[in-house]
Amino acid sequence: MNIEILCRPAASSALVKLNQGEELTAEVGAMIAMSPNLRVETTSRHRGAKGGIMKGIKRIFSGENFFLNHFTAAADDQELYIGPALMGDICTHNLRSETLIIQGSSWLASGTGIEVDTTFQGFGAALFSGESVFWVKCSGQGVVILNSFGAIYEIDVDGEYIVDTGHIVAFEDTLNFNISKAGSSWVSSFLGGEGLVCRFKGQGKLYCQTHNPPSFGQSLTPKLRPRQA
Amino acid sequence: MNVDIRYQPAFATIFASLLPGESIIAEAGAMASMSPQLEMKARFNGGFFTAILRKIFGGETLFVNEFSCPRETNPGELVLTQSSPGDIAEIDLQGNTLLLTSGSFIACTPGVKLGLGFAGFASWLGKEGLFRLSVSGHGKVWIGGYGGVLKQNIQNELVVDTGHLLAYEPTISLSISLSGGIFSSFFSGEGFVSRIRGQGDIYLQSRSLDGLTSWTNKYL
Repeated sequence: MNIEILCRPAASSALVKLNQGEELTAEVGAMIAMSPNLRVETTSRHRGAKGGIMKGIKRIFSGENFFLNHFTAAADDQELYIGPALMGDICTHNLRSETLIIQGSSWLASGTGIEVDTTFQGFGAALFSGESVFWVKCSGQGVVILNSFGAIYEIDVDGEYIVDTGHIVAFEDTLNFNISKAGSSWVSSFLGGEGLVCRFKGQGKLYCQTHNPPSFGQSLTPKLRPRQA
Repeated sequence: MNVDIRYQPAFATIFASLLPGESIIAEAGAMASMSPQLEMKARFNGGFFTAILRKIFGGETLFVNEFSCPRETNPGELVLTQSSPGDIAEIDLQGNTLLLTSGSFIACTPGVKLGLGFAGFASWLGKEGLFRLSVSGHGKVWIGGYGGVLKQNIQNELVVDTGHLLAYEPTISLSISLSGGIFSSFFSGEGFVSRIRGQGDIYLQSRSLDGLTSWTNKYL
């Protein structure tokens, strides 16, 4: 499998080249174009994994879709273009038996060796930050494709790092985060409009997005009219 | 202080590294991520009274944040962004003043003074607010827009569609007018326009949120 990211960072698309027998699992609706010898199967579970329906339901709570699409190449040199709905960046992360925790809507696709599950990240994060209660958890060996709103930048955390809620794409589970105030005092944090931030601790890779979808959405809502019945 | 603007023009983002003792002032909510040793303090957007006036009449935020890197620590990294996708321009102030329309301010260095400028009723009618954020002094200012940011030097006069103006020099005066006759103004989709007169620099954004939302509204 060979992955090339095109049109970075404004309107990225991933071009995945698959040889016979190779597979990719992707988010429903992510396919833009594909070669004719790719077989598509839609299921609620990851290939070979158990507990399909429950996992599908959990996935809904993490902001992903109940169903997953599996693309299997029936011949060599098959091409698959995938992309998310919003404008933004795509990046890949290779897992060698570690675990990657991904913010709900940032999971785009992953290879066969990757188990896609959901994980509970605490009510604190969900209640105060607008993030989901469940996050997507990828573990195993292979490649994970992530997408974002805005460009993706990587931070190698060693010790501590602060990210505003809404800017997290994914992080390795060697990192832990807790919700805390942005400034030195609570008053300052709320007055300054930053409110709560995620404070990451540990050692590992952290992917952030430069733009925050809810804050762009909120700048549009006052100008939008109600949907017609 | 070393400031790098990356991912231009679609998703321009400010990556600043602050040395111990340095600080930067940013719009409320502009911080995307930062090193843990940086300290954040909220303060009034240019003094108590002006902040309140601007909040009420200018649609600006009441507070701005000051991010500083304490002495006796390592240099810290700060990532600042805006809510809409688009470009960011860096402006060097050398004692001069610039007036900013609501929402275009992202950050400035501490030598820049945030003040209040009366924008005039023309600006208020043009949905640009009755008061303006003025930036003056010595230092750098970063402004952002939805779409590309265009810099224009005006020698005489320029007509600008409302919602596209980001910043201008105080030597420039704004007046609101119809884009053409009564008929063409209301049926051409241009409506009111700002007539900009004087000599100096102006900054425009190549898209406007009003344009995006009025397009979206047709499909809701």
